Amino acid sequence: MAENAAHFMLFGLSFDLHILEMTWMVMAVTVVLSIMATHNLRMVPGKLQNIFEMIISSIDSQVNASIGTRGPLFAPMFVTMLIFMLIGNLWGLIPGLSSPTSSLNTDLGIALLVIVMLHALGIYYKGGSYIKHFFEPFAPFVIIKAVEEFSKPITLSFRLFGNIVAGELIIHILPKMLPNIICEVIPGVIWLGFSVFVSVIQALIFTMLSISYLSEGVGDVED
Amino acid sequence: MINIDGTLLAQIVNFIILVILLKKFAYKPIMKILKDRELKISERLNSAEKDEQAAKKTLEEYQKQLADARVQAQEIVDKAMKQAQKEHDLSIEQTKREIEQMRKTAKEDIERERERAAQHLKDEVVLLSMQAASKVIAANLDSDANEKLINEFVEKLDKSKLGDLSC
Repeated sequence: MAENAAHFMLFGLSFDLHILEMTWMVMAVTVVLSIMATHNLRMVPGKLQNIFEMIISSIDSQVNASIGTRGPLFAPMFVTMLIFMLIGNLWGLIPGLSSPTSSLNTDLGIALLVIVMLHALGIYYKGGSYIKHFFEPFAPFVIIKAVEEFSKPITLSFRLFGNIVAGELIIHILPKMLPNIICEVIPGVIWLGFSVFVSVIQALIFTMLSISYLSEGVGDVED
Repeated sequence: MINIDGTLLAQIVNFIILVILLKKFAYKPIMKILKDRELKISERLNSAEKDEQAAKKTLEEYQKQLADARVQAQEIVDKAMKQAQKEHDLSIEQTKREIEQMRKTAKEDIERERERAAQHLKDEVVLLSMQAASKVIAANLDSDANEKLINEFVEKLDKSKLGDLSC
C-alpha cells in the first residue's frame, strides 16, 4: 500500500518515495541473496545455490526454446524479472512492507520496457519483414494487430497489479471487517497462504508472457 | 496507487540496474558452474567408460592366461605321470631280472653242492667197500660166509644211505 504522503518532485515529475524505498529494499535483498548463492559456488550445490540454479536453468532453457539463437542475450533479463517479481510480490505479505509490484508504475514500467524492446529489436533485427507482419494476412488486419499490440502491456501489467493489490488490500481490510483479532486468525492465515501462491504464480505468468512476447520480435525466423 | 508518474521511469531504471547486477552476481556464475558441471560429468562418464573397457580387457587377458596355465599344468602332470610309469615298469623289470638271476645262481649252487656231496658219498662208499672187501679177504671164509657178509654190509649201507641218492 502506497502512502500518499511520501512524494517528492524532481525534474517536474512526481516520485512515490515509498514505492521506490520498497523497490530498493527488494533489489538489495535480491542482490544479497544472489551473492550469498554464488559467492562460494560448489560442484555439489548447497540449498540456496540449488534454488538459483533451478530458477536460472529453467528460465534459460525456456528462453532458449522460444527465442532461439539470441536467447542467451535476453536470459539474464528474464531471470532478473522472475526473481525480482517473486521476492517483490511476496514482499507485501510481510507486515509493514508493501510490494513494489502493488504500484502500477512498477508493473507498467517493466511491461512497457518489454514491449518497447519487442518493437525496437523487432525492427532492428528483422527490418521490413517485422513491420510487414502487422499487415498480414491482408492489410485491414493492422487494426486488430494494433489493438493486440496496444493491449499487451496493459494486460501484462494490470494482471500482476490487480492480483497483488487485491492480496494486500484484503490483508488490510480483513481486520476491519471482523470483530476481533481471534476471528481474524483463520481467514487471515488462509488468505496469506493463498497470496503466497498467487505471488509465485503471477511472477511466473509475467515472466513467461514476457518471454513469449519478446520472442515474436527477436526469435529466429521460422520459415 | 493507480496514478502514473515519474516513478514509472524510476522503476524502469531500477529494473535495468537490477538486471545488470543480477547478470553479474547470479546469471553468469551460475551458468558457468552449470557448464563446468556438465563438462565434468561428461568427462567422468567418458573416463568411467574407458576404465570399464580397460578392466574388461585385463580380465579377458587374465582369463586367457589362466586357461593357458591350466593346460600347461595338465601337460606337465601328464608327462610326469608317464615318466613315472615308465620308471616304475623299468624298475619292476630289473627287479624281476635280478630275482631270476639270484634264483638261477642259487639253483646252481645247490646243484653243485649236491654233486659234491654225491661225489663225497661215492668216495666214502668206495672206501668202505674196499674196507669190507679187505675184511672179507682177511676173514677168508667160505663162499656162504662171504655172501652173507657182503649182504650184511650192503644192507647196512642201504639203511644209512642219504636221501634218494643213487649209489
